[in-house]
Amino acid sequence: MNTLISLLRPRILSAVNSLRQGNKKNNWARIFMYSALGIVFWIGTFIIFYRVLTYFQSVQDFGNILAIKLMAMIIMTFFMLLLFSNIINCLSHLYLSHDLPLLHSLPVSSKDIFFSRWVISTFDSSWMIIAFSIPIFLSYGLIYKANFIYYVIFLTAMIFMCFAAAALGGILVLFGAMILPAGRIRTILILLGVVMVIIIVLVLRLTRPEQLVNPDSFASAVLYLTSMQTPDSPFLPTTWITDAIKAALGNETKTCVFNIALIGTFSFMLIFINNISAQIAYFTGFSKSQTTPRRLFAPLKYRGLNWENLLNFLSRESKAFAVKEIRTFFRDSSQWPQLFLMAALIAIYLYNFSVLPLDNSPIKTVYLQNLFSFLNIGLAASVLSALSARFVFPAVSMEGEAFWIIQAAPVLIKKFLWIKFFLYCIPLVILAEVLVIFSNLLLRVSPFMMVLSVITIFCLVPAVVGLATGLGAIYADFKSENQVQVVTGFGGLLFMILSFSLIAVVIILEAGPLYYIFMANLHGNSLSLMQIIWIICSFGLALALCLLSIFYTIHLGEKSLHIK
Amino acid sequence: MITLQELTKDYGTTLAVNKLSLNVAAGEIYGFIGPNGAGKTTTIRMMGGTIAPTSGKIIIGGFDIAQNPVEAKKMIGFVPDRPFLYEKLTGMEFMRFSADLYDVDRNIFPQKAKELLQQFALWNWADELIEAYSHGMKQRLIIATALLHDPRILIIDEPMVGLDPEAVYMVKDILKELAANQTTIFVSTHTLSIAEDLCHRIGLIHKGTLLAQGSLDELKLIAKLGEARLEEVFLTIIKENTFI
Repeated sequence: MNTLISLLRPRILSAVNSLRQGNKKNNWARIFMYSALGIVFWIGTFIIFYRVLTYFQSVQDFGNILAIKLMAMIIMTFFMLLLFSNIINCLSHLYLSHDLPLLHSLPVSSKDIFFSRWVISTFDSSWMIIAFSIPIFLSYGLIYKANFIYYVIFLTAMIFMCFAAAALGGILVLFGAMILPAGRIRTILILLGVVMVIIIVLVLRLTRPEQLVNPDSFASAVLYLTSMQTPDSPFLPTTWITDAIKAALGNETKTCVFNIALIGTFSFMLIFINNISAQIAYFTGFSKSQTTPRRLFAPLKYRGLNWENLLNFLSRESKAFAVKEIRTFFRDSSQWPQLFLMAALIAIYLYNFSVLPLDNSPIKTVYLQNLFSFLNIGLAASVLSALSARFVFPAVSMEGEAFWIIQAAPVLIKKFLWIKFFLYCIPLVILAEVLVIFSNLLLRVSPFMMVLSVITIFCLVPAVVGLATGLGAIYADFKSENQVQVVTGFGGLLFMILSFSLIAVVIILEAGPLYYIFMANLHGNSLSLMQIIWIICSFGLALALCLLSIFYTIHLGEKSLHIK
Repeated sequence: MITLQELTKDYGTTLAVNKLSLNVAAGEIYGFIGPNGAGKTTTIRMMGGTIAPTSGKIIIGGFDIAQNPVEAKKMIGFVPDRPFLYEKLTGMEFMRFSADLYDVDRNIFPQKAKELLQQFALWNWADELIEAYSHGMKQRLIIATALLHDPRILIIDEPMVGLDPEAVYMVKDILKELAANQTTIFVSTHTLSIAEDLCHRIGLIHKGTLLAQGSLDELKLIAKLGEARLEEVFLTIIKENTFI
């Protein structure tokens, strides 16, 4: 036990020291910002669930079934999220952390190292799920007027669920690392990415959520009700958790205790198996992960056909940077699952537009199509904003400890940042334009809306990428072990807030003029002088904001990266 | 070739380098020695342009590195103490990247890169990802890359760390040959025997201040020691805090 505490101490002390030693002002700003965001999200979740459950209560006979079904879905989703998050965290904490060679050189058993790391991984993966499950289950408790025991049961069930998912994640990672060839530990991430894409696409195709708005698609209401009442498998831990919480809501003590006992014993059994497995498998897996990773795919070489030649229009330095960036990006296998997910995201995005029941809508189609198209600009920009957060924001930090090469090279930091900007901006603009043009074609929008969408995206996406590049430079972390750490930091959060605010402001600025133009076209009127001035000012301001986001943020990033 | 004027670096809590002034002539090998935390790496990093001084000037080949960083850096081959590189590039790709940044003649590059990689026993590893290299191999690759553009000034922090004896011998030979061809070499080291073997002049820094500089004989005079090795001179000067 003492060893375990000693192994956990560096993590705890690091957290405490980071609070103590850092810039106090900055720390308070961060704490305030995170807390404010957390509280807003927490309250928002509570309000939404409270309203939804209140609405369900008003549906006779059917309300309770819907509420419990929703609970089962939430618990299932939480469990899957926990499992995925635990697998990723376990891989990082158990096999990829830089301090592991030091730990393994210490006179402690690999089982103790494993368990201490597993505890940290469990905490990292679970705290947020527990925190954000509270408003959901609080709303259930208030709606169903549950007593104190319900809250105790819910918290216990959630903790057991976290343990079960973490232990399961640990076991999967342990054996995954044993099976895969040495040095290919990151391959697991790629496989996970592919599996995720397949699951998402399958879920999308099989559930066809758009059918829910069409009552004709159900053979009969009875059949529908029957399908809703079908119990989940009794062998799933998520079923035990749902049943325990459901029983606590209804004051059914025996069922509640039985199900809590089931999930409790199940999670402790898994932890036990996890520890036994660690004794057998952990060190072998760790040892394998320390050997030199072989390249997953051998480089393709064709005489006379070199992709680098496509960049010949760039200056020599710029091309060198571009080639380096592209190579390091695509050779980093941790990027690949993200690319697969991006592909899935695009597929879902376009699929959603293809199944919109526009023809069945009671609202005038032309109006609806153009409204959707306009909102689609914001939606596409938001998707690109999320992609920028994942790929562009950490781009400067990705240089890592090798950043000295750039600093020592006879190249200006400004140039380095602008090359980063263009490298990410060009593919993202193309992607966003493809998204918007295809979704507009599916919506059959007017030519004016098509042109407006294309131009707006052409200005918005570079602005978002500029923000990501600049803020990524300001908040660069060259010592970070992985990019997720960089994105989830204060800078990443600030980027997301500023990026969404920029998109919202641009959309708002365009909404008024668009309405006047649309109505004038619809009624065959011409625009008044005031309206024309307003339109010019609004579009001009939107453009100015976009340009400011690019140039000013990159300028700030450049200043921040200048040698200190 | 290298001039440091009143160079100071204050980290806020620590005064790492305090009003350091020195000159290094063309073709000279200048050894920079001192105990841990003396300010050697900070000085070297300021000279390499990877950190900025709090005050003072660094003149490289006539260019103030603060005013003309690009021109100054073009003359420098910089080798830091820790070999952090782009792990996902191969050795050859990294050399090409560097050659592009330092504007090495495209026609000369392939032959030059091959020669250097062969010289540093890395030719068989040229197409392997750097992540597969050992510490010593990375160090050799950095030195080889630093020589790619025929720098007029070589700034090296702890050149022999991680190198095997054969590589140490080879690097020493290369440095001597470069100096003979008028390349200025500024080398920081803990290994006093290397400084003794290699350097024309030695500067001794302690707590950010240059305590003494000169040839080994001059340092012996300063330390008031007759026939002594650099190790004894070093310890005496540090102990007595002898100033120039």
